[in-house]
Amino acid sequence: METLGTFKDVETATRAVEGLIKTGFPEETITSLTSASYPDGVIVKTDQRTWFRWAAVGGGIFGACSGFLLAAGTAWLYPVQTGDKPIIAFYPTGIVTYELTMLFAILGTIVGMFLEMGIPPWSARPYDPAISEGNIGISVSVDSREQMVRAGKIMEAAGALSIRH
Amino acid sequence: MSEHTLAAKSAGQLNDEMLSSMRPPTWRWYGLAFFLGAVVAWGISAFTYQMMTDLSVTGLDRPVMWGIYIANFVFWVGLSHSGTMVSAILRLSQANWRRPILRAAEAMTVFSITVAGLFPVIHLGRNWVVYFFLPYPNQRGLWPNFRSPLLWDATAITTYIIGSSLFLYLGMLPDLAVVRDRAAGWRKKIYAVLAMGWRGTAREWVVFRQASTLMAALIIPVAVSVHSIVAWDFAVTVIPGWHSTIFPPYFVIGAITSGVAAVITLMIIIRRVFHLEEYLTPLHFDNMGKLLLVICLLWSYAYFVEVQTTWYAHEPIEWEVWSFMSGKYTPLLILMLIGNSVLPIAGLCFKKVRRSVKAMLVITLLVNVGMFIERYLIIVPSLSHKNMPFVWGTYSPSWVELSVTAAAFAGFTLMYVLFAKFFPMVAVTDVRELGVRHTDISLGRAKVHSLTEEK
Amino acid sequence: MEKLTSPYKWGMVVDLDRCTGCGACVVACQAENNVAICGKQEIAEGRNMHWLRIERFWVGEYPDVRVRFLPVLCQHCHDAPCEPVCPVYASYHNPEGLNGQVYNRCVGTRYCGNNCPYAVRVFNFHDHEHAWPPPLDNQLSPDITVRPRGVMEKCSFCIQRIRRAKEDAKAEGRSIKDGEVQPACAQTCPAEALAFGNMADPQSRVARLSRSPRSFRLLEHLGTHPSINYLKGGGREHV
Repeated sequence: METLGTFKDVETATRAVEGLIKTGFPEETITSLTSASYPDGVIVKTDQRTWFRWAAVGGGIFGACSGFLLAAGTAWLYPVQTGDKPIIAFYPTGIVTYELTMLFAILGTIVGMFLEMGIPPWSARPYDPAISEGNIGISVSVDSREQMVRAGKIMEAAGALSIRH
Repeated sequence: MSEHTLAAKSAGQLNDEMLSSMRPPTWRWYGLAFFLGAVVAWGISAFTYQMMTDLSVTGLDRPVMWGIYIANFVFWVGLSHSGTMVSAILRLSQANWRRPILRAAEAMTVFSITVAGLFPVIHLGRNWVVYFFLPYPNQRGLWPNFRSPLLWDATAITTYIIGSSLFLYLGMLPDLAVVRDRAAGWRKKIYAVLAMGWRGTAREWVVFRQASTLMAALIIPVAVSVHSIVAWDFAVTVIPGWHSTIFPPYFVIGAITSGVAAVITLMIIIRRVFHLEEYLTPLHFDNMGKLLLVICLLWSYAYFVEVQTTWYAHEPIEWEVWSFMSGKYTPLLILMLIGNSVLPIAGLCFKKVRRSVKAMLVITLLVNVGMFIERYLIIVPSLSHKNMPFVWGTYSPSWVELSVTAAAFAGFTLMYVLFAKFFPMVAVTDVRELGVRHTDISLGRAKVHSLTEEK
Repeated sequence: MEKLTSPYKWGMVVDLDRCTGCGACVVACQAENNVAICGKQEIAEGRNMHWLRIERFWVGEYPDVRVRFLPVLCQHCHDAPCEPVCPVYASYHNPEGLNGQVYNRCVGTRYCGNNCPYAVRVFNFHDHEHAWPPPLDNQLSPDITVRPRGVMEKCSFCIQRIRRAKEDAKAEGRSIKDGEVQPACAQTCPAEALAFGNMADPQSRVARLSRSPRSFRLLEHLGTHPSINYLKGGGREHV
């Protein structure tokens, strides 16, 4: 469950974040929603480590194997003599393998990125379209109704324009 | 746009201005779209006529079996290097002035590679069996020939179309969320699907930024390989004038020249049409002009080197091809050298020229005219005068080929016009990020503006 | 993957000292292989379909003018530039040393036509399927197809005759004798300038002639290793 408060500017948003942290909400459960990216720590601190690049590596390896199978494998399956060139030739196999490696690395990057971001989401999550107009959203992950109400009160006190759940 | 003006406007105002291309279409827009659609329809009918009759409606003959269709193919692939090189390189080098230009450049890449990919199908003698190129298991046990450079072309262009489309989409993700939030009705539903539920959480931004950097790093080698492979279509043959080791780097340089010039032309057009004067300032043209100057110098260097080695060794067949080309196509050759070398290098050395939008428009249009001529002059003269003098021939494009060429330009423009109407033409969130990260601090006796960089 | 081999390696010898430039070979080839009749307009456009052409060169100044003839046909190169560039394997090398062209596989990219340094490949720019209105279609050879538009074609060393000879020889349980297979051009040449046979047999006529000191090959510097040797004496003034 998330509680989302929308704030007019950085000052009120940071007041809300500090208020939430002081009353015991751990910083990992608090995140900002902005339409332009703010430097890390200005509003909230976020873990900068990501794992999606391994999906890119995995994609690249898959691509390399499939490229090799495509160029060398199909030539082996259907060996037709052309010119004085070997049936499985070095440069053509290398070029096709390279292209498919890059293609699947790119696909892996995109898929890994979406997986790590967690979008498209399985369930509805609170959002305020006003965020696109420059407002800043502060969202707290809460477990109980009591926490939800408490978080909402703190954000209202800090100057939230609206609260959504 | 300067960071001060960015900070002075509200986010809503910035959104309004940068997304102005997406306002309801005027009758002028409809007129333009209709005109472009008509040219495309004319080109399609010319191609249909060619497909229903035979290839004799083109100007092709023996020995010039490749003509303006292939010149188009190489030109459009070259143009597709615009987005990759401009967007990816500027992203990786973290140049801030890239922000308003990115989207236009990336969109240009996708549309020009799409147009390019059509030409190998258009120029075939039996277009209806083009599926023979596809590697699919079939009951005859046939596979295509991966030793052929044309199959490398097919692989590379598929990779590049998919890669550059994903690159464009990835960059657009936060902006699509902004558009989604401002839209209503069926439009909102479509943008909501495209925005994939993006909310702009801090974590999403972290992953997004790292993914953009990784994509930029991945797409650059793909772009270099695509045009090298197109160059190998020519370089691996035994045709004098084509069989040259400099072709792959030469073609890549030519592609970057073409692409950078086209991005500048496009910037000028969208700046005027969508009233983005505050976002695409003389500073942007100045920097892009410097980039264009460097790349035109590189192109001139590559061309000079190629001709010089041909002239000095004076190998009879190669020299024959060069003298034939410079003799029969002298006006085109001169126009090409002026457009690609003399004018850009002479003009772009001066800040005043680089910052003048009118001068940049003339220079960049002439660069692309020169680049198209360059493709034509590589392909046709070498084929006209091959190894056996008894079968030397000539070629001139027919109305069918010229119609299809015109349709290619119109189709590209039409795709662009439609894109600008339905998608954010300026990287809204990227530009606003600059305003967010900027602050004035007092340092010593002065108030200086500082910009937060990424760690 | 074993390399397919064959006891036959077809080759040809063209004796330029015998060639009179009469052009009978060109006509014979056209008749034998269903080559389209083009007409002046097509030939002026550079779209003639001759599988075999006689190149004619004038040498010297009046009154000391001489003429040289060079019949050029597909050289059936052992390292053919046209073969690796075909994206669909329509152009390939068969174990008997022939460069094969598969008409129904050809997609019409024309890369092979560009890459042939001898420019012997001809493309059906025009639709020639309907170039034989009845009763002209009675002259078409049933052993070979009529190519549709958009397809590349070229000399095949009369592969249909080679096939026929192989079938006859197999039926009789022997191998093909020297001189048994004659492509249409070699059969027709009144000056006996064209010789065809099995280069793998060192005693065949073509093998012996190719060892002549007069022998040379076209565009040897390109390393295509053609199967055709040309003979020219008198000071090696080749064209």
